[in-house]
Amino acid sequence: MDGPRNPSTIFFQYERIRRSIIASYWIVIILAIPLWWQTTSIERLSLPSSEVYAQAEAHRGFQLPVRIILDSEFTKRDNSLALEVQTVLKDSSALDIRVSGSSGRSEGDSYLVLPSESQEIRVEGRELFFPLEKASASVLAKTLASFILPDKDHRVVQYSPRYRLSFSLLNEDSSGGQVVEAWDASNGIARHIEPITSALSVLHNFTIESQAQFYAPLAFEPLKLSEDEAYGLTPEQLTVFVNSAEWTLSSSSSNDPVLHFLLFVPSASRRPLKILNKEGKPTNSNSFLIPQWGGIVIANLPESPSKIRLSTDDLKSSFTTFSQQLLTLLGVPRLSSGAVRSRQQPTGWQIDALLRYRAIENVVRTSDTLRSTVSLVEQIPNMPVGEKVRNDVRDALKALKSLSSSSNMTLTGILATSRDALTLSQKAFFHPGMLALLYFPVEHKYAVYTPLFASAIIPLVVAAMREVVAWRKQRRGVQVPQG
Amino acid sequence: MNLFRTSLSIWLWLLASYSFIFLVSANDGNDMYHNDLYARGNGSSSSHTNNWAVLVCSSRYWFNYRHMANALGMYRTVKRLGIPDSNIILMLADDAACNSRNKFPASVYANPGRHLDLYGENIEVDYRGYEVTVENFLRVLTGRLDESIPRSKRLLTDRNSNIFVYMTGHGGKEFLKFQDNEEISAHDIADAFEQMWQGGRYNEIFFMIDTCQANTMYSQFYSPNILATGASLEGENSYSHENDNDVGVSVIDSYTHYVLQYMERVNKTSKLTMGDLFTSFSVPKIGSHPGVRSDLFQRPLGGGDAMLKYGTGEGWRELGEWVGREQEPLKVRQAQTGERRAALVTDFFGGVVDVDIGEDTDQVESSASEVKQPAIKGSPKPPQRTRQTLPRNPGLPKGLPSVRAWASFLLIGVIVSAVYVQR
Repeated sequence: MDGPRNPSTIFFQYERIRRSIIASYWIVIILAIPLWWQTTSIERLSLPSSEVYAQAEAHRGFQLPVRIILDSEFTKRDNSLALEVQTVLKDSSALDIRVSGSSGRSEGDSYLVLPSESQEIRVEGRELFFPLEKASASVLAKTLASFILPDKDHRVVQYSPRYRLSFSLLNEDSSGGQVVEAWDASNGIARHIEPITSALSVLHNFTIESQAQFYAPLAFEPLKLSEDEAYGLTPEQLTVFVNSAEWTLSSSSSNDPVLHFLLFVPSASRRPLKILNKEGKPTNSNSFLIPQWGGIVIANLPESPSKIRLSTDDLKSSFTTFSQQLLTLLGVPRLSSGAVRSRQQPTGWQIDALLRYRAIENVVRTSDTLRSTVSLVEQIPNMPVGEKVRNDVRDALKALKSLSSSSNMTLTGILATSRDALTLSQKAFFHPGMLALLYFPVEHKYAVYTPLFASAIIPLVVAAMREVVAWRKQRRGVQVPQG
Repeated sequence: MNLFRTSLSIWLWLLASYSFIFLVSANDGNDMYHNDLYARGNGSSSSHTNNWAVLVCSSRYWFNYRHMANALGMYRTVKRLGIPDSNIILMLADDAACNSRNKFPASVYANPGRHLDLYGENIEVDYRGYEVTVENFLRVLTGRLDESIPRSKRLLTDRNSNIFVYMTGHGGKEFLKFQDNEEISAHDIADAFEQMWQGGRYNEIFFMIDTCQANTMYSQFYSPNILATGASLEGENSYSHENDNDVGVSVIDSYTHYVLQYMERVNKTSKLTMGDLFTSFSVPKIGSHPGVRSDLFQRPLGGGDAMLKYGTGEGWRELGEWVGREQEPLKVRQAQTGERRAALVTDFFGGVVDVDIGEDTDQVESSASEVKQPAIKGSPKPPQRTRQTLPRNPGLPKGLPSVRAWASFLLIGVIVSAVYVQR
């Protein structure tokens, strides 16, 4: 053999072929760049940020109209009463309250204050009966304020369109002599709970379940009281009363919030089980409420017989307590002392007050959620924003705007719109697509890309450069003889 | 270009702070009602009404037995202290109990004598095996789960929830490995917590992590009401505690072991404070230097003078890491005037805080009357050490990473031009 072959005689070293090979590599790379860009970039649609911030400002001016009409009997006694009451009420709340004297006709949505025949204050539907003699501006305003908008209460659960109510009968230890085999829960629920749930159906959708358990031990020993044959639960023990490790309290079939109601039957050897106050003295109460969780009633039954079925009558007091606890948990305002409740449990005043409370709560939560969504997207550059999220944000904004612009909506309509707005904003915020991609520091990117690409790119770059240099030399070489 | 960018960011910052001040003042002026009605819990009282726990063991394989034991030990403790299974999210590779190498099938032990079977009879693992991923963890925290995910796999918290987040596994500076496959960085967790705060998903968080260089994992947090603690300093390993010769591997990590040992002294109505827990950390026993971060946390930690002297004494080379040490005396003073209650261990591990018996019951003031110092059981024999980490990463001053990035970029340029020049 006569040494290495001359490269220019190898077919792939022909100038044209060699250059097209190198060029084809570069063409592939350049064509692939948009694809690479497309697949590695995050879809971030722009959200209507400025509108969201403007809306957050605007909701603070969001006011719900309240019309109160005083009977002519009141205005006859004191001409300026209506105006005075209105001034007092205006100071204390964010509602658009108008108090006027009777004009002889009552509008659909207004509340009437009528003179009461007796000394007591009575509520009937949307009418308040108030004794004439007591009707000074401050007293009347104070009474009205509690009906119009409830105060914030830490026991009230956060608003949800759906709740599950779980009623449980818990025998602490049915092997201890006595067992409550069954309870007429369905009747108790029908009598005491369903009037509430149906009255509040404009606010929430309720699902009700019940169960009975025969072994539900406590996780601690109740105190034995020395003076009489009784056992006591200290306030501290009440906080750990629910033994959730061993009691199965509700099914986990849905994601709706659950409100629990427990009827606890202490074992025969630990009766009566009383609730102690802070000084360690037994109280008369046999029930307590865990904020935002539910209510518990302790049933100290007589020792015999050994097997019991709790009838509707036996359950009357327990379920009355449950119904009170349910009202507290759902935030139905208490009528101020002195007011006598009417036959219907939550009166029109109370439901309206709750509707207002929830509507305002929803509006505030919605605009908070929207603002959080927008600011998070700004703050975290890797967070994707898809079309669904953007649409949900827009729809929520639209719903909020319709609330502040339209003045002729009914209270129920306002609540429904605010609920939709809240649901949409939550859907946008918690959209599964809104997961920020993992944080990669610059070093990580280099560490990933360098071993992958550097080894391939450097020879390509160098080959291209050599080719360019060769081409330039060649051109010069060709040009020189010509000149 | 750079100058332009800098000035732009300064302008944006000024604008943002201005609008913030405007918002706050507008808020003060006209709308006391909304403020009152929807005020966020600021930790001034124990305003939480429910407790949740997220326990993550991010390792798999038999030789990481101890990480599973760590997580299961915590699981047992939070359950004992009153958090129901429905409120515990347990993420566990779960390949130890039924591993073919396990001489004691269906059991996981955390001590050499094998006294207590942590796997027991009532374990609810919510994310198992290959479901333990960074993505799932972040989705659980932020609530961004698909609609089809069942209730038991969800963290259904609200703004009245206190959450205990425990993580264990192999890690390094500002990252934690998930099953030798991917990593979560401190930034990811910090961003997730911020999203939770914005979304109204917690009242307070207690974050605990046992891994190498654990303290770096909470360094990026920026959301309010988070209390954090970790097992070891930046650049320092965290160690396993003991081997069991029959099981054949280390059965628990040192830091977690001593935390769990302390937690055995806590019961549901205990008044022990977080400060009491932190002051129980002993460097000679744990073998690494645990850290605390409380600057984002509103309430004092309790623990009295011993806590104020945290990080001094036997075993500490220098003053121990406690971010938020300076704020503590002020918080303690506020606690004395009754504004803020010291953080109890049971605030994060227990059940509810107060109940309502018709009339409101006032909070019982905490008096740390119980045992403060855990008596040391057994002989203080030095624990066997196993390395638990990836190669350590020496601490870099801030700004150096970008310098390094540019340097590598330049280097490539130099190589290319060198080749070019040679031609």
